[in-house]
Amino acid sequence: MKPPAPLNDERFVAKKHQKFLERHLHILPSKFQDNEPNKLAIVSYALLGLSILGVDISKKYKGSTEYLKKHYQEVENEIGYVAGFVPSISTHVKGVPSLSLTSTLFGIWSLACLVNADRLFEIIDREKVCQFVAQCQVSDNGLFVSSFDVTPPKPLHYSSIDPTDLRHTYVAIAILYLMGCRTSTDFSRYISLDGVLEFIKQQACPQGGFGQYFEPHAGFTSCALSILKLINDRWDILPSSFYEVTFQWLLQRQISSDGPMTLMTNNEGFDPEDHGGFQGRENKFADTCYGFWCLNSLEILGPQTSARFEGHDFLVDYLLNNTQNKLLGGFAKNDEDDPDLYHTFLGLAALATISGDFDGTTFLPQNISRAMKLNRL
Amino acid sequence: MTETLFDNGPFQYSDIQPLPISSGDKDELCQILYDDEYKEVMGITRALLEKSEFSERALHATSQAIQLVPAFYTMWNYRFQIVRKLYGADPAKLNDELDWLDQFTLNNPKNYQIWSYRQALLKLHPSPQFLRELPILQAMLDEDTKNYHVWSYRRSCVFFFQNFDHELQFASDLITRDVYNNSAWCHRMFVLKSQFKPTPPTELLKTEIHYTKTQIELAPQNISSWNYLQGLYQEFLDNKFDAEVVDFALTFTSGAFDSLEKPSQILSSYALEFLAHVYGQSKDTSDKACRAYRALSEIYDPIRKNFWNFKIRSLTT
Repeated sequence: MKPPAPLNDERFVAKKHQKFLERHLHILPSKFQDNEPNKLAIVSYALLGLSILGVDISKKYKGSTEYLKKHYQEVENEIGYVAGFVPSISTHVKGVPSLSLTSTLFGIWSLACLVNADRLFEIIDREKVCQFVAQCQVSDNGLFVSSFDVTPPKPLHYSSIDPTDLRHTYVAIAILYLMGCRTSTDFSRYISLDGVLEFIKQQACPQGGFGQYFEPHAGFTSCALSILKLINDRWDILPSSFYEVTFQWLLQRQISSDGPMTLMTNNEGFDPEDHGGFQGRENKFADTCYGFWCLNSLEILGPQTSARFEGHDFLVDYLLNNTQNKLLGGFAKNDEDDPDLYHTFLGLAALATISGDFDGTTFLPQNISRAMKLNRL
Repeated sequence: MTETLFDNGPFQYSDIQPLPISSGDKDELCQILYDDEYKEVMGITRALLEKSEFSERALHATSQAIQLVPAFYTMWNYRFQIVRKLYGADPAKLNDELDWLDQFTLNNPKNYQIWSYRQALLKLHPSPQFLRELPILQAMLDEDTKNYHVWSYRRSCVFFFQNFDHELQFASDLITRDVYNNSAWCHRMFVLKSQFKPTPPTELLKTEIHYTKTQIELAPQNISSWNYLQGLYQEFLDNKFDAEVVDFALTFTSGAFDSLEKPSQILSSYALEFLAHVYGQSKDTSDKACRAYRALSEIYDPIRKNFWNFKIRSLTT
C-alpha cells in the first residue's frame, strides 16, 4: 500500500508554514525574552520544520553555522574535558559551567540541518560530548540531569536541582546515538545502561504505556520507546505482552466521537470535534503534539507487535482541518489556541512521519537521519 | 542610572557593575529584542554570579531573574547554592524559601523547574513536614485537577514521607468532583501498588471493586474507571474475573451480543472491551469475545476497526 502523502494534500498550506517558521529565526520581540534558555530549541524546531518542507536551509542559513558553533564549549574537568552546548551565548557567564544536555541535543540537531556529518564532527568533539553525557548520569542509577551545579566549578558535580525524568534519559541516549553508539556495548562505554533499563522498567504502567508512578503519559511513552529503539538490542527487558498492551493503549489515545462516546456529555475533558486527534492521557482533549508522540510510538512498536495502526487519515483530517492555521500558517495545540512554534513543528513531524519522511527516534527528517546513522563510533 | 527597573528591595547594588548581554552577532538566529528591565536584572544578577557572591542580596536578585525567565536553570541552580551556603540546615530559613517557592509556583503553574527544586529543598531540610506540602498541592490541583507535575510531586512526597494514610480518600475527593479525572484513578493504583507488598488485603480489594462499580454506574462510558477495575484483577487477583463482575459489565452492553443488523445503543463501549478481554481468556468463551470485538469494530468503535479485527484474527488462529 502506498503511504498517504499529507504534505501534498491540497489543504496543506506549505508556503504559509514556511513563513511562520522563518519568522522565528529572525528578530523576535521582547515577549520572547523568557525563552532565552530555549533559544536552541527555537532554532531546531524552525530549521527541522523547514527541512521537512523541503526548503534548502543549508544554503539559506549557511552563515549561521558560525553563530551556532559559538554555543559549543569545552569545559575542563578533573578527568579531562567534557563538551556540549550552552543554551545562550547572550546571557552566558564566563567561568560558570552552564553546558546543558538538552541544549546539546538541540545544537546537534540544528547543525545537522546546516552541515554534513563530516563537518559536524569537525566542529564538535564526539568523545568529549559523550563524556559530557556520562557526567550527567546521577551516580549508580538510570537518571540523568541536564546540567552541572554552578558552584563549586571544580570538580564538576551534576545538578542538585534538575528534574530527572525520561526526557533527560532520552536526550542522553539520543546524543550518544548521534555520536555513533549503536549497541549496548557502545552505550555502556559511557553510561550505566543497566540503570537506564531498570528505570524504564519502573516506568511501565499496568494499563500499558510509560509514565511516573503508574500514570501513563504519551510523551514519556515516546521517550521510553525511542530509547529502546536506539539501543535496539534490549527489548527483552519487558515481556512482549507489555508491548502489545502498550500498542493498544496508544491506539486508544486516538479520540473517537462514535458510539457511546456521545453519551459522555458530562465529561469536561471530551470534545467530539477532536475526532481523529490524539490525547496524551485518558480523558484529556486532543492535542497536536500527541499526534506525533503517539504516532512515533506506534511506528516503533510496529515490528514488536502483529497489530497495525491504520487511523492515519483521521489524524491527517484532524491536523489539517482543526489545528492548522490556514491564515497565518503554523499549527496550534488545539482548535482554539493561536499557532506556536512547538506545535507547528510537531504537527509537521506527525505528517512527515505518516509519509515516511521523518525518523521519530532520532527526531530528524529521514534524509538527515540516514546520513547521521552512517557514522558509527 | 536615574530610574532603576531593578527592584533593590532592602539591599544596595550600587557597587555592582552590570554584566552586559551580548547580542547582535553576524548571522545570529532568533535575535531577541530585550527590554530595559531584562537587561538590568540580568546584568546585575549575572554579575553577582560571576563573582560567586552568596548573600541575601544575591538571593533577592535571583528571584527577580527567575521571575523574568522561569526556565533559566542556571539561575535556579545559583539560587539553590546560595540557600545551601547561607541557610544550610536552618529549618526556619528553609521554610522561608519554601514560602517564596509556594508563591512562585502559584504564579507559574506549568514551570518545569519548580518541583525538582522543591524536592532538593526537602532533602536539605532537617525536619521536612508532609503537612507543610499539602496546601500548595491542594491549591495547584484546585487550579488544574489533572496537572501531571503536581500529581507526580504528590506521589514523590508520599514516598518520601512514607505516608499513605490519606491518599485513597484524597483520590476519592477528586473523583467526586470529576469522575473522569484519570490522574485520580491512577493515584489509587499507585497507592495499592506502592503501599502493599505483594498485594493489598482482600478486604481492601473488595472495597475498591465495590467503589469502582459505583462510580461506573454514575458514568458508564469512562475509560479511567474501567481501566482501574481491570487493573485490580490483573495486578492483584491473578487475572481471574468472577461471574459477578462479568454480570456487572453486561448491564452496560445490552443487545451488543445479538444480531448486528439492528444495533442498539449501548451504555459503554469500555464495558464491551472489558468483556471481550475476559471472554478472550478462555476457549469456551472465545466465541463471545469475537462477537464483542466484531460489535466494536462495526458499530461501537469503528475508528479502531483494524485493531478489533486483528483481535478477532488472533482469537481464531
